[in-house]
Amino acid sequence: MIVVQALVDGLSLGALYALIAVGYTVVYGIIQLINFAHGEIFMIGAFGAMTVWLLVPGQQLAWWMLPIMLVGGMVSSVAIALVMERVAYRPLRNSPRLAPLITAIGVSVFLQEFVRLFYVRIPGFPDAKANVPFPAIQGVTGTAIRVGGLDIDRPTIFTLVALIVCTVFLYFFVNKSRTGRAMQATSQDPDTARLMGINVDRIIMIAFAVGAVLAAVAGTAQGLMNTNINFKMGFIAGLKAFSAAVLGGIGNIWGALVGGLVIGVLESLATQVLPHGSAWKDVWAFVVLILILVFRPQGLLGARVVDRA
Amino acid sequence: MIPGIPIEVRRRFETPARIVALVCGVIIAASAYLPWAYGSDALDDVTYLGGPSFIQFIALGMGLVLAGLCVCSMRWPRGFGRIRIGWIRGARSLGVGLLVAFAVILAAISVELGGTINIVYGGWIGFAAALIAFVATRFLIPEGRPNLNRLGTPGWLSILAIAGVMLVMLFVAYYALDQSNPGTFVTFLVYVGVGVAVLLRTGALGWLTAATSVHRRVMLLAAFVVAFLFPFTQGGSDANMSIAAQVLIFAATAMGLNIVVGLAGLLDLGYIAFLGSGAFVAAMLSGTAMATLDIHPPFPVTMLISGCVAATLGLVIGSPTLRVSGDYLAIITLAFGEIFRLSMNNLDGTDGPDLTHGSRGISDTGELSLFGFNFGQTHTVAGLEIGRFANYYFLLLLWLVVVILIFTRLNNSRIGRGWIAIREDEKAAEAMGVNVFGLKLFAFASGAFLAGVAGAIKAHVDISVTPDSYVFLQSSFLLAAVVLGGMGTVLGVLIGATLLQLMPEKLRFVNEYRLMFFGLLLVIMMRFRPEGIIASERRQLEFHDEDEELAERLDEGNVDASRGAVAVEGAAR
Repeated sequence: MIVVQALVDGLSLGALYALIAVGYTVVYGIIQLINFAHGEIFMIGAFGAMTVWLLVPGQQLAWWMLPIMLVGGMVSSVAIALVMERVAYRPLRNSPRLAPLITAIGVSVFLQEFVRLFYVRIPGFPDAKANVPFPAIQGVTGTAIRVGGLDIDRPTIFTLVALIVCTVFLYFFVNKSRTGRAMQATSQDPDTARLMGINVDRIIMIAFAVGAVLAAVAGTAQGLMNTNINFKMGFIAGLKAFSAAVLGGIGNIWGALVGGLVIGVLESLATQVLPHGSAWKDVWAFVVLILILVFRPQGLLGARVVDRA
Repeated sequence: MIPGIPIEVRRRFETPARIVALVCGVIIAASAYLPWAYGSDALDDVTYLGGPSFIQFIALGMGLVLAGLCVCSMRWPRGFGRIRIGWIRGARSLGVGLLVAFAVILAAISVELGGTINIVYGGWIGFAAALIAFVATRFLIPEGRPNLNRLGTPGWLSILAIAGVMLVMLFVAYYALDQSNPGTFVTFLVYVGVGVAVLLRTGALGWLTAATSVHRRVMLLAAFVVAFLFPFTQGGSDANMSIAAQVLIFAATAMGLNIVVGLAGLLDLGYIAFLGSGAFVAAMLSGTAMATLDIHPPFPVTMLISGCVAATLGLVIGSPTLRVSGDYLAIITLAFGEIFRLSMNNLDGTDGPDLTHGSRGISDTGELSLFGFNFGQTHTVAGLEIGRFANYYFLLLLWLVVVILIFTRLNNSRIGRGWIAIREDEKAAEAMGVNVFGLKLFAFASGAFLAGVAGAIKAHVDISVTPDSYVFLQSSFLLAAVVLGGMGTVLGVLIGATLLQLMPEKLRFVNEYRLMFFGLLLVIMMRFRPEGIIASERRQLEFHDEDEELAERLDEGNVDASRGAVAVEGAAR
């Protein structure tokens, strides 16, 4: 029973990682950049949702607040992601590999500190230096639902539904829309794509935006799940989501989804089944990351051969 | 970079602009004799009429230099014989520098006394003159690249130059550490930056590098002597020495990372774990009541053990390098750093064997005692008191020298050339018979060893060792020191480490914001000068591969052995 319960918990955790991992993989697939600051975009998404909730008068907890908060989170994370791409990454597009990675670390530190220092400066807003309690929206929080001896948390259901909706959206966006097909073309061969009349700069911006939208959904889900958010939440979550992206085969969107679920379930199993699991769970996650990178760098679904200096 | 004034306009106005700049230089010099602020709390008391403070004196000197450069550029526009000097280049950078300096000064006065109302006419006059001088110097046409480094230098002069440089450095370190007023500190830093820029642009720095590189050993020895003398300028105060000791630890560790990142080109984001493992091993073996292992070898042995444990970890984490490279390696090392931190937190007796006391850490490592010399006590040498941190400072200095020697010897050896070959093109290196895997592993192991030994000393300097001091942020600080200073160079990394460690100590008022500025600094640096403050020319070419002129000069070979040669203005374009 413990194992099944761990599986259920793991699925919700995994859905979260999967949503973030898509952001890494989409960007990587097109410009071969590990957007190290994507974890921070996820954090900004959570804070954006929080902000919208604070701005609506009356501390509303009704269910209809949820879509408003999601939109707020998406707007803020997409805005930050686009600014970041334009200001920090675009000027470095043809520089040696080390430069964008170090820039990404800089952006990551900057965004964390920015939220930590300035969120409290907005009148009436809580101090982001401590944990900020996230609003318990009715319907998606509260007592767990019992199904045949299993406790299924309500945020879990929300996260899974969000993952399914996002997957469907991604499927149609990537495979059916003109923009999505342009994205695929660009990731296969940017130069030829440009010759075919695709605006590569625009495609790159869209890739960042798509990742940010999903990260904002994940941020909101994380807030509902943990009942609080903080400025550091992006670091570990981002790292694990990156592991998920690599596990699935970086550059491959469906791989990122599968990888996220696998990592989530593994972590949950390690926490609940192994001795002292909760203390060592992050260690196991990173060990798995290292093992994947060393022994199967192309990932589970990746056909892409990693061959870069 | 920024489009300048069209050349025809400049030709027309060059002579008047030169005279205007000259006059402004004199005015700036004169303004030093006027009061700049109403209150004595701003900067180092700039309120007197006719009595310049130190900060004002430097402004005076810079004003005169500006005037002098203008005069010289009219008197000897073509330099002397075949030697060209960058008079106008220097004047132009001085124009920018003075403007920045005065802006910082006025800002410091307004912040420290509350409002621009506290600025007295002297400050405004100086600022106005600097502004006009800046505009005027924009109209000047810079001459060709200076070639002062071709100037023959007699031996005694270059020795004298080395001594002069060393004295200036000692004074800069002494003065900068001595400032408690943040405004003065920042202004002084700006002055130093401007001074270096002017030396660089006029070509004087090229001459200095050329003159000193002939006597490299003397130079190293002199630098060591100066650093050795530094504690004696502190008059027994240990406050600055504790900062200096931290700077040395940081620099020694960054130098180890420099091998991995700068030479072998392997990005390591978890390097702090090696420092941490050294520190924890030394703490566990320290033999105090808090130590968890019942063995306490003498400290030199502990140092070796710490280094070897770190090196072993380095081998473990380096072994995947055979299979992965680039970004993936960076992520592996990052994950390794996190595993280290989490493990140290968990080895507390409940979730694992009790080795580190968990998040509380080992809170007492005891004082070092080597050959009867107790590092915890104050000693008196020639009437001057040497405190606890000064003792450790000497030990750390010795270690830093060892690290630098190891680094330079490795860099100039077959191994170092192998590393550079791997960094530039791994496949080609392998095809040429370079033992890629072995050399990569060796880079990891040797870098880790150096950090481990530094960690062993750090454990005793800090007295306590907690997992919280060895987090990812520290790794990124180390990486930033290497990258900002200039990868693969000794001097650059030393400067980078010093700046990164000194800034937060001296700028307490921005302490809250320092991480944010740090992030911003990384982004800006990568955008505008990715090769670092001081760049080896080879590295510079890597980042500016469209720069034909630089490539040709490298080809000519006239940059000779100056691996650490100060970067020329490739980045300015």
